[in-house]
Amino acid sequence: MIVGRVSRPAAGVHARSSRTWRSGADVDVCPTWFVRSRLNFDIVSRMSRTLLVRLSAVVIALGCAWIAYTQAPPQQGKQQAKQPNNTISKVADDLYAIIGDGGNSTVYVTNEGVILVDDKFEYDGQDIIDKVKSVTNQPIKYVLNTHLHGDHTGSNERFLPIAEIIAHKNARDNMVKNKAPGVMRVVFTDETDIFLGGKEVRMKYYGRGHTNGDAVVYFPALRILASGDIGANNGPNVDYANGGSMKEWGATLDGVLKLDFDTVIPGHGPVSKRQYLSDYRDVATKLPATVISMMRDGKSKDDIAKVFMTNGGLWVNPNVVNKLDQIMAELKN
Amino acid sequence: MSRTLIVRLSATFLALGCAWVAYTQAPQGKQQAKQASNKLNKITDDLYEIEGDGGNVAVYITNEGVIVVDDKFEYDFNDIMAKIKSVTAQPVKYVLNTHHHGDHTGSNEHFLPTAEIISTANARKNMIDGKQPGAPRVVFTDETDVFLGGKQVQMRYFGRGHTNGDAMVYFPALRLLHTGDLVAGNSPLIDYGGGGSLKEWAATLDAAMKLDFDTMIPGHGPVGKKADMLTYRNNVEKLRTEVTGMIRQNKSRDEIAKVVEDKYGWAPTGLQFQRGFDGMLAELKR
Repeated sequence: MIVGRVSRPAAGVHARSSRTWRSGADVDVCPTWFVRSRLNFDIVSRMSRTLLVRLSAVVIALGCAWIAYTQAPPQQGKQQAKQPNNTISKVADDLYAIIGDGGNSTVYVTNEGVILVDDKFEYDGQDIIDKVKSVTNQPIKYVLNTHLHGDHTGSNERFLPIAEIIAHKNARDNMVKNKAPGVMRVVFTDETDIFLGGKEVRMKYYGRGHTNGDAVVYFPALRILASGDIGANNGPNVDYANGGSMKEWGATLDGVLKLDFDTVIPGHGPVSKRQYLSDYRDVATKLPATVISMMRDGKSKDDIAKVFMTNGGLWVNPNVVNKLDQIMAELKN
Repeated sequence: MSRTLIVRLSATFLALGCAWVAYTQAPQGKQQAKQASNKLNKITDDLYEIEGDGGNVAVYITNEGVIVVDDKFEYDFNDIMAKIKSVTAQPVKYVLNTHHHGDHTGSNEHFLPTAEIISTANARKNMIDGKQPGAPRVVFTDETDVFLGGKQVQMRYFGRGHTNGDAMVYFPALRLLHTGDLVAGNSPLIDYGGGGSLKEWAATLDAAMKLDFDTMIPGHGPVGKKADMLTYRNNVEKLRTEVTGMIRQNKSRDEIAKVVEDKYGWAPTGLQFQRGFDGMLAELKR
C-alpha cells in the first residue's frame, strides 16, 4: 500500500531493497552495514538469522516509507493518494452522468464515439474511462470543458492525446494564465457544435457568471443541458480572478434558459429539472439587486452575508462569506 | 455448341448493358479521371500555398502537425498530400473549410478519419443539404481558434457574401489571411442557393479588414496584399450600386446582363451568371 503512495524516485528505492532481502543475491546493491551483518551470520543460529533478515527488511521498509513520505510534495501527494469515488447513472438511453468527485461529468454515447463533458480531477481519469467502458465500447472522442477549474479539467492531460478537447476561448486563456495542465487545442467564442454518429451536441457561451468562460452543453435530441458551474448547486461562487461576475450571472442564465430543455445536469449536485435552473436564475437576478439596495441602506456586511446564506435555499455556501468583499466591490460600481 | 454460344452472347449483352448503365449513371466518372495539376508556393518559412485546381489551399506547419485550409477536389487529395510531404514529415491534424463548395471541400472524405475538419455551422448545413461527402464533425458560428505546436490559427465568420457560411482563416503571427471565396477572381460569384448575398458582401469584407494583416490568400487567384482586398471590396460595392440603379431605372434583364458581362467580366455561361444573376436581381429589387 505504501508503494502506491510514494513519489516515483522513492518507489524505485523501495522496490530495489525489497528484491535484495527476498533473493539475497543482489548483495552489491545492499548497504554496507547490511553486508557486514551478513558475514556474521555464520556464527549465529538459523532462527536468529531469519529474525535479523526480517528486522533488517522492516527497517529498510520503514526507511523507505519515511523517505517517500518526506519527499512527496504535500499537495500533490495528497491528491494522488485520493481514491476516486464516483457513480455512473443513466439519464437517457444514450446519456449518463458520472457524479461524485469534483464536477459532474456527462457521457453521451454515439456509434462513432463518446462525447464527454468535464473530466473531474486528475486522479479520476482512469475511473471515468472505466465508468464509460461499463456502458459502451466506444472510445472517448471529444471532451468538452464547461470552464477552466481543475475539478472539471483535471483529466485533460490524459485525454489530450486521444480526444479533441474543446472549451471557451476565455477558459483556455485562464488555464494558460494559471499554468494549468491539459490546455485544449480548440476553442470557440459563441457556439460550437459537434456532430458524431448522427447526433448533435451544442456548446454555447452566454456571458459571465462563475468565470468569464463558462460554457453550457446542450443535447437537443434529449432536451438535456449540462450547465457547468453557472448552475452548480453550491451557490454563487464567483471566481473574480478568472473573470467571474455576480452582476451578470442572472442575465447569462436568461440566455441559457432560451434553450429548450427539460433536464439539467448541474456542474455540482444531483440531476434536476428545468425549474431548478429557472429558480437559480431568479435568485441570481434578485441577489445583486438586494445587495445593492442593502449597501445603499448602509446595512452591515454580516446582514448581507445572511442574505446569501438563506436566499431561496440555493446559496448555502460558506465560501460566499470569503467572497463578500469582492462581490460588494463589484456591485458598488 | 449453340448452347455455349447463347450463354456467351447473353454474357456479352449483360456486360454491355452494365457498361451502359455505369456510363450514364456515373456523373463523377469524368471528375475522378482528372489529373491533379497544382503548384506549391512558399509564402513564409512555415506557410505554403497550393494553387492550381479548385480553391487555393494554405498549409501551416507546426511541430505538432499541419493545419490545412481547404482541400480542393477529391482527385487532388493525393497531390495535396504529396505536396505537403515534400516540405514536412508532420501529419495533417486540422482541415479548415472556408465554405461548402466542392472545389474547397472535395478531399474532406479522405481527411475525415485522421484529421479534425472544421467549418461554420452554415457551411456544414449546406453540405448536408447538398448531400456532399465529408461533412465536418466540428462547426462554429462566430469564431474558433486552433492552437497547435505553439502556433495559433483563428477562423472567423464575418457575415454573408459568397454563401451564408464563409469563414476566413487568420494567421496572427504571420499577419496573413486566407479569405476563402469572399475574395476570388475579379468580380463576385454570389451563390444564392448557398445563402449568398451581394447586399451584405461589402460589410462582411469591412469587418474582415479590421484584422491586422498584410498578406492575403484569396479563394482563387494570386496571393495579394490587404490593399487588394479593399480594391475587391470596392468593386463588389460598385456592382451592387450599379445594378441597383439599373433596376430602379427599369432596365431590362438583358440590358443589366450586358453591363455585368462587359464591365464586370461575368462569362455569359459561367457560374457567376448561373448561380448569381437572377438571385442578385431579386435581392436588389427588395
